[in-house]
Amino acid sequence: MPTDTKRVRGPEVSQSPSLFLPDGRQRDQVDVRPVFVRCGLVSQAKGSAYIEAGNTKLMCCVYGPKETERKDETDMKCGRLTTDMRFAPFSCPERGSWIQGSQDKDFSLMLQESLQPAVCLHKYPRSQIEVNVMVLENSGSVLAHAVTCASLALADAGIEMYDLVLGCSIRQDGASYVVDPTYTEQNSCSSVSSENQGGLTVAFLPSLNQISGLQSDGEMTEETLTAGVRTCIEGCYKLYPVVQQALTKAVRRAALPPPES
Amino acid sequence: MIGSVCVTQSPVSPSFLLHFRTAEPLEYHRSFLKENCRPDGRELSEFRTTTLNIGSISTADGSALVKVGNTTVICGIKAELANPTVEAPGKGYIVPNVDLPPLCSSRFRPGPPGEQAQAASQFIADVIESSEVIQTEDLCIERGKLCWVLYCDMMCLDYDGNVLDACVVALLAALKNTQLPEVTVNTETCTPGVTLEKRHGLRINKHPVATSFCIFDDSILIVDPTAEEESLATAQLTVVTDEEDRLYSLHKPGGTSLSGQKLQECISRATARQREIQKLINKVIHSVKTAQ
Amino acid sequence: MSQIMLCDKLCSVEDCIPGTGVYLRHGYIYSSLAGYVLRKNEGEELPVISVVRETETQLLPDVGAIVTCKVTSINPRFAKVHILYVGSTPLKDRFRGTIRKEDVRATEKDKVETYKSFRPGDIVLAKVISLGDVQSNYLLTTAENELGVVVAHSEAGAQMVPISWCEMQCPRTHTKEFRKVARVQPEYLQA
Repeated sequence: MPTDTKRVRGPEVSQSPSLFLPDGRQRDQVDVRPVFVRCGLVSQAKGSAYIEAGNTKLMCCVYGPKETERKDETDMKCGRLTTDMRFAPFSCPERGSWIQGSQDKDFSLMLQESLQPAVCLHKYPRSQIEVNVMVLENSGSVLAHAVTCASLALADAGIEMYDLVLGCSIRQDGASYVVDPTYTEQNSCSSVSSENQGGLTVAFLPSLNQISGLQSDGEMTEETLTAGVRTCIEGCYKLYPVVQQALTKAVRRAALPPPES
Repeated sequence: MIGSVCVTQSPVSPSFLLHFRTAEPLEYHRSFLKENCRPDGRELSEFRTTTLNIGSISTADGSALVKVGNTTVICGIKAELANPTVEAPGKGYIVPNVDLPPLCSSRFRPGPPGEQAQAASQFIADVIESSEVIQTEDLCIERGKLCWVLYCDMMCLDYDGNVLDACVVALLAALKNTQLPEVTVNTETCTPGVTLEKRHGLRINKHPVATSFCIFDDSILIVDPTAEEESLATAQLTVVTDEEDRLYSLHKPGGTSLSGQKLQECISRATARQREIQKLINKVIHSVKTAQ
Repeated sequence: MSQIMLCDKLCSVEDCIPGTGVYLRHGYIYSSLAGYVLRKNEGEELPVISVVRETETQLLPDVGAIVTCKVTSINPRFAKVHILYVGSTPLKDRFRGTIRKEDVRATEKDKVETYKSFRPGDIVLAKVISLGDVQSNYLLTTAENELGVVVAHSEAGAQMVPISWCEMQCPRTHTKEFRKVARVQPEYLQA
């Protein structure tokens, strides 16, 4: 590496303090925000979950299995999973409208695609399982947390699944990245180069070690993208113990262990 | 009763009660009301435990989460700037909306607000207008030029009956929690300048509180109905009063008739409830202030 | 009794027979529910392994299941019902079912008249015979002695007492009404 002798040199790497502003989070490390997870809050739902990651707050309710409204041939053999994801009008810095925008619909679809492979739908013929997600406060990485929250609500509802689904997002900003970005981190860009700018969300089945959903936007090189996916998986594993603990509590609350036969 | 078919069914098992509840819900409730109590163990004029949490949503200018038993309502207030109308140049806007999303109960479908949500929104709007919780004049920044719009969005997260009472409490607490940034209008350029650091609260003039009742079998009056009780009742009634016992609204959408004497009972129960709620709101706001 | 997470590996298929709440993958049995493991020896060589959440979770009406339903409407060809229970487990959401005229009783099928068998509001015990197809609902039958009306109200509004397999009597007015009456077994009531 050529050294610049004509100028006064500092240390080789240094970072702007503004990068550490929001909640003192590290770049280029798998540093997910602290999460709080709880199951079974909504009395009317079959299963429900609430997740809080930093300031991002969302809840999910699962209803069903209930009779399918529209029937076709495939419904006779396996069930249908419907998802609805919405943002409360006060959830974003800018006030949202009541009318569901295209963003909500995209999110709903991605949520459905991420969850479907994990649910044993063949066990629920002629019926549908409804997943409703409400974002109460959007402070970034909403889709990733919605996936985690929804799979937890499904498990709480006693819906048979092959595995849990965990979500994690990263924001690639030039050479550096942030895991579980906040709203401002998601929408800001500090590096000058236009290369490798983008966001990535991965839905991951931790026990089966499979990816059920992958969504990326922006522009990233192949290497960056594969490295990003690996980072997201690592982030999911960090969530796993917290999610498992919440589910254990939910199971214990739902019923005492059956008597030893 | 299913049990009467069977010849010897002496000890009533809990699952038998459950069967009875699903198959004959009305009979099930009547059997409790006969004993002057309700399936959840409450007396006829007893409210469910009410809890309040304020300021939990940082993206809103004011927010509150209310739980009345299982029923949960969150209210978020967003303030935006707008031009006042020509008819009322010295007034701002308050835009209340109640949402009953499919998340809160399987009885609601996705899509535009249903009848119940529309009726609830209109009810809240009427309460705001008649009680003048906030003088819309207070929301005016520059007469005829600039004023505040308060979007008050109430969203039900768990529907177990009596959503109106919960909405009013959530709205009142959220309004008391709202902090608006200081806005000045530059007289030369006519553009507003916002100082986010300097914030001030809203002036709350009145503290209206709603109390809902259900009428069972044309005569029995119960307060704070659950979703199940609401669906079986023959009529519903909501009374709104404030700290000076002024009556703002008496909402009784159809149903069976009610005697004047019973109505008086409702109103006195409502005034007692108003005291309880105002105490609760003040207590929570105080505890939040001391925590800061 | 150990608590089990979703997707925990329980054992090899050579050690146990898979029961409910589990799935097979690569020769091993995994849990598809977060719950408790239950091993039962039912006289077979291998024990049956299941994962349970609540004491009994049969979520959907299946062929052969005994269901409790409420009659919503009748016409000369069939009775429409809402299924309330599967076994003794209440359903959170209502499923619709149909009892066709020919499935009301086992004998003299051609002489069945639906309105002499059921009335709207009756509580009926029935058995699922088919999940139905795209157009139809669950198909149910009451063609067994133990199946049929268990609770019915007379025109006077009183709850009637069964007096034979095809008649019930109102205790207030003593009028008799026709029903396909079930011979109720106590275990269905107490389960």
